[in-house]
Amino acid sequence: MTSSSAPSRKALSKIACNRLQKELVEWQVNPPAGFKHKVTDNLQRWVIEVNGAPGTLYANETYQLQVDFPEHYPMEAPQVIFVPPAPPHPHIYSNGHICLDILYDSWSPAMTVSSICISILSMLSSSTVKQRPADNDRYVKNCRNGRSPKETRWWFHDDKV
Amino acid sequence: MGNKLGRRRQVVDEKYTRPQGLYQHRDVDHKKLRKLILESKLAPCFPGDEECTCDLEECPICFLYYPSLNRSRCCMKSICTECFLQMKTPNSTRPTQCPFCKTSNYAVEYRGVKTKEEKGIEQIEEQRVIEAKIRMRQQELQDDEERMQKRLEISSSGRMVVPGEVEYSSTSVPASRFPVEGEEIVASQDSRAPLTIRPPLQTRQNRYFLSINDVESLASNLGCRVGSPFYELEESGKRRNPAYGDAAPSAQYVTGDRFVSPEMALPAESSSSPSGGLACAIAALAERQQIGGESSLNYNGNMSAFNMLPGRSRVSSGAVQDVENYTPTESSNEVSPDSRMAVTGDDGEWGVDHGSEVAEAGTSYTSSDTIEEAGVAALPPPDEIEGSFQNVTGRPIIPESFEEQMMLAMAVSLAEARAMTSAQGVAWQ
Repeated sequence: MTSSSAPSRKALSKIACNRLQKELVEWQVNPPAGFKHKVTDNLQRWVIEVNGAPGTLYANETYQLQVDFPEHYPMEAPQVIFVPPAPPHPHIYSNGHICLDILYDSWSPAMTVSSICISILSMLSSSTVKQRPADNDRYVKNCRNGRSPKETRWWFHDDKV
Repeated sequence: MGNKLGRRRQVVDEKYTRPQGLYQHRDVDHKKLRKLILESKLAPCFPGDEECTCDLEECPICFLYYPSLNRSRCCMKSICTECFLQMKTPNSTRPTQCPFCKTSNYAVEYRGVKTKEEKGIEQIEEQRVIEAKIRMRQQELQDDEERMQKRLEISSSGRMVVPGEVEYSSTSVPASRFPVEGEEIVASQDSRAPLTIRPPLQTRQNRYFLSINDVESLASNLGCRVGSPFYELEESGKRRNPAYGDAAPSAQYVTGDRFVSPEMALPAESSSSPSGGLACAIAALAERQQIGGESSLNYNGNMSAFNMLPGRSRVSSGAVQDVENYTPTESSNEVSPDSRMAVTGDDGEWGVDHGSEVAEAGTSYTSSDTIEEAGVAALPPPDEIEGSFQNVTGRPIIPESFEEQMMLAMAVSLAEARAMTSAQGVAWQ
């Protein structure tokens, strides 16, 4: 329960580096619809612009995702949060933390940044109300010293995504 | 164990019997690893190439290229040995899950270098995945409209529930909360939420997922769950049951594999026909060709898949059928149209589409299928017999060359696509 600054800032392993470079190339060739990633020098942190899908509650809205990769990516999941202001959503906390199993327990090294993005967009798109989680304030208070969502023990009970 | 038909023995250089340092492997028994590699039960630890040169396969985990890879039993996805060794999650009591389809008790087998045929088939599958993606995108657009309409009807009621307020049971929770679709297609496949399965969704699934073999990436994209932080202060009794943890993801993966793998986990011994669909069927066909007239195994294992997947396992289940077993029985009525559509001479033209009744007829000739039927050309209606069929003597006609096999595969694929668009397909006179 103790705090620690966001992701461990250990440099990427060789394999992580290699994989991310290839993901980046693939992204440039074939970016997931609705996402924009401005390539920077920093391979370890991607900031990705998300456009709400047309016809959903988040249509014409733009949010930013921040993806931080751990040393042992892809064996370990990246940390993915919305840069506040996060979209109001029943499973997205106002500090940007996203309660989505594939980012935590259900991560698989076969997933990619691109597949994560699609999942997040699908999570947004299926929302029927723009509303914070009921326990938002409590959770955000718990995390106020910069705790990573990867340290939260999430409880995934909602399959409606 | 494994696949005595498919595995090609090879002499492995000693230096490829140990990891090349891709990862820092802990808990690897190097002696055992060496033995497995020398016995061709695991792919040798070749150093991965960064670039794809000639005939290399890409490991979907490390994105490096290798001369040959292991394949998962459940979904036939490739993985290099070093990545495979990383899959065992330390400090976990759960059985390891397949990283691709989440089947538990992940296991791989090694079949040596992929044959040209297998590679060609993969390309076809990829093509079909792309086509399916396009269709999905179109569907999404349509869904968006539907969703908008739904939203007008739905009043937002009883939304998020604070964890701990309600006695959740893992099966019941949000299943029927909001009947919106779109991405929920996948969630509703989860057997724990039967309430959400509504007929329209079902048909849509059939249309999109059953026909493609290889959408794990899509599946894992969409088969996800959301929730809320777990507060330790709240009664531990509501904690997720670890056993449930295993059940959940395995119930989530989607697509054809979803239907096939649970069954296939058992008869994995007969894995030369993994019934993974068209690709496997044709791979099996190709393999069969290689082993000549050797009679095939008993593929009862396929029956379950057959029943669940009438559209596809028809193709896969019988690719290995022994010709001699094929006896024209009362089911010949259903069969004959197929034969007509069978390979006609050199152009290898295929058509398919026996309507659903053929699935029914499956019981009478359990593992017969388009490929073999065509190959056998057992029952062409008399007026349809072409000269090219004269040489049928009970030996299966199997395309000899790679090109022919490719054409055959493409034709089956085309026909399947056609079958999807028109439910009953061609009208026979």
